[in-house]
Amino acid sequence: MNPALGLAAFAAVSLATVVIGFYGLRISRTTGDFYVASRTVRPWWNASAIGGEYLSAASFLGVAGLVLLSGTDALWFPVGFTAGYLMLLLFVAAPLRRSGAYTIPDFTEARLESRAVRRVTSVVVVLVGWLYIVPQLHGAGLAIRTTTGLPAWVGQVAVVAVVCVTVVAGGMRSITFVQAFQYWLKLTALAVPLLFIFFVLAGTGAPAVADAAVNPTGAAPAGPYQSISLFVALLFGTLGLPHVLVRFYTNPDGQSARRTTLIVLGLLSVFYLFPTAYGLTGRMFAPGLARSGHADALVLLLPGRMIGGTAGDLLSALVVAGAFAAFLSTTSGLVVSLAGVISQDVLGGSVRGFRLAALVSAIVPLGFAFMTESMALAGTVGLVFAFTASAICPVLLLGIWWRGLTDAGAIAGMVTGGVLCGGAMVAGSLLGAAGTPSWLAQPAAWTVPAAFAVVILVSRATKSRVPRTITRLMTRLHSPERPLATER
Amino acid sequence: MTRVRVTAPRAGARGGAALPVARSAADSREAAEESDAGQVFVRSLIRSQLRLGLVVAGGFLLILLGFRLMLGLVPGLAASKIAGLPFDWVLLGAGIYPVIGLGAWLYVRTAARNEARYRELAGDK
Repeated sequence: MNPALGLAAFAAVSLATVVIGFYGLRISRTTGDFYVASRTVRPWWNASAIGGEYLSAASFLGVAGLVLLSGTDALWFPVGFTAGYLMLLLFVAAPLRRSGAYTIPDFTEARLESRAVRRVTSVVVVLVGWLYIVPQLHGAGLAIRTTTGLPAWVGQVAVVAVVCVTVVAGGMRSITFVQAFQYWLKLTALAVPLLFIFFVLAGTGAPAVADAAVNPTGAAPAGPYQSISLFVALLFGTLGLPHVLVRFYTNPDGQSARRTTLIVLGLLSVFYLFPTAYGLTGRMFAPGLARSGHADALVLLLPGRMIGGTAGDLLSALVVAGAFAAFLSTTSGLVVSLAGVISQDVLGGSVRGFRLAALVSAIVPLGFAFMTESMALAGTVGLVFAFTASAICPVLLLGIWWRGLTDAGAIAGMVTGGVLCGGAMVAGSLLGAAGTPSWLAQPAAWTVPAAFAVVILVSRATKSRVPRTITRLMTRLHSPERPLATER
Repeated sequence: MTRVRVTAPRAGARGGAALPVARSAADSREAAEESDAGQVFVRSLIRSQLRLGLVVAGGFLLILLGFRLMLGLVPGLAASKIAGLPFDWVLLGAGIYPVIGLGAWLYVRTAARNEARYRELAGDK
């Protein structure tokens, strides 16, 4: 495609992001504004923002790429990403909102009355956030390289710079508007080119060049173990994502947290139809992209490939804009939540501390991204989900629903889950994709149950450490807020 | 909608680990909820919400499993076409989302109903 158009698309998205960020600046003044938009965000805005934040490089580029490569096996990703939100709704949304905590470490500390638990949770959360930002930056590098021919680091540095400017300037109030805008931009950027592709295909009546059921690279289909393990990771991993959870505190009460999640599920369901359709179209009409190793760039290349000419260039520019919206929104969401954790734990929770922490949270993963090579985007993000599912999800779920959880059990569980899953990830990257057995490549099916078991066994063994205020805590998590009218 | 002043993180940082939503008007209600009788209602609310969540999650997983089994066991079904698209793609790539949405909607409705019943029992108006 035309490199100038690609750059223009990126510049336009960055500009829109910064402008909306600064528009928000005028109304964010207190520390509360900075952290959670003072909890006055309306459900539709909030749901759009959650959708905008959640749909990352993996969803925008990676899902279509994997669908192109492995067909219906890859449909576990979009379904799992959405079903993870169902789990969030069923087991976490309302109680977490009612806990009143800002971040996951706030929650575990309050639930278990232990500073040590807080520190361990903070370390895990920061690790998860950094791990999750790296594939976003890889996506940015890929998009810049594919569309403009510039080196990958240009895209990575640009994304980090724009995120730092918006977050440091406005905090989460402006982030909410930025994210909501970016959800709708991402949806448009996928939907409009796809409609044009369908019109062109219907108009020319071009026959499919390949059968949708055949993998273009001849890769073997995934076994049942891999599919199940991946699905476990996606179902439970969403529960522990720091940038997703921090959004729930912006709802006024538990019931509205549920309503927001319901809207989010609708938004995600609509969105994921499109990457799936891109993947299917790619399999039937452009399987060569998979064979040439450009699977992750499918969404970026397909409009130009199928339409061509100026129209193709303009549609490609739209897709590039959507892709950068994905990198920017997820990265800024993660940076905000990480900055919240770091600034409260290390820097005393002031606005200045938050800004400093935001810079740290964005720049460290940039270093990781420089040092590592980009792999299949959706696959990398799947591993991050496995890590959160193993390290954070057991403590979160048991903390909400089980009175018997103790601080010792929580720490043991987080360490076990983190070490097992992190170890599997390191071993997998050392052995390389070909040499890794499937139980190491997709560890969630055994690391998640192991973490749950350790939390429960250690908590049972240390029964005397159950907080004395457990009755009050559980009541507050689960009983509905009073209607506002009766408040004096 | 009232604007709520939030001051949470510093309170926690100074050593007190109380959950930050505490409001003065809530005190008497909390006392009632923490009495033995109040706790009976709270525990029953928690149990019913957990049961509801498990039922919806289990139902969703069963339907998903059913979809997969149906495609695997009925010969020729996966390859049959709907509007020119392969049936397995339509079912797994699009058909599963309405199931998720329906489950979520039923859950939100029933959970709110459980809470309304709790409010009535606990005498909270």
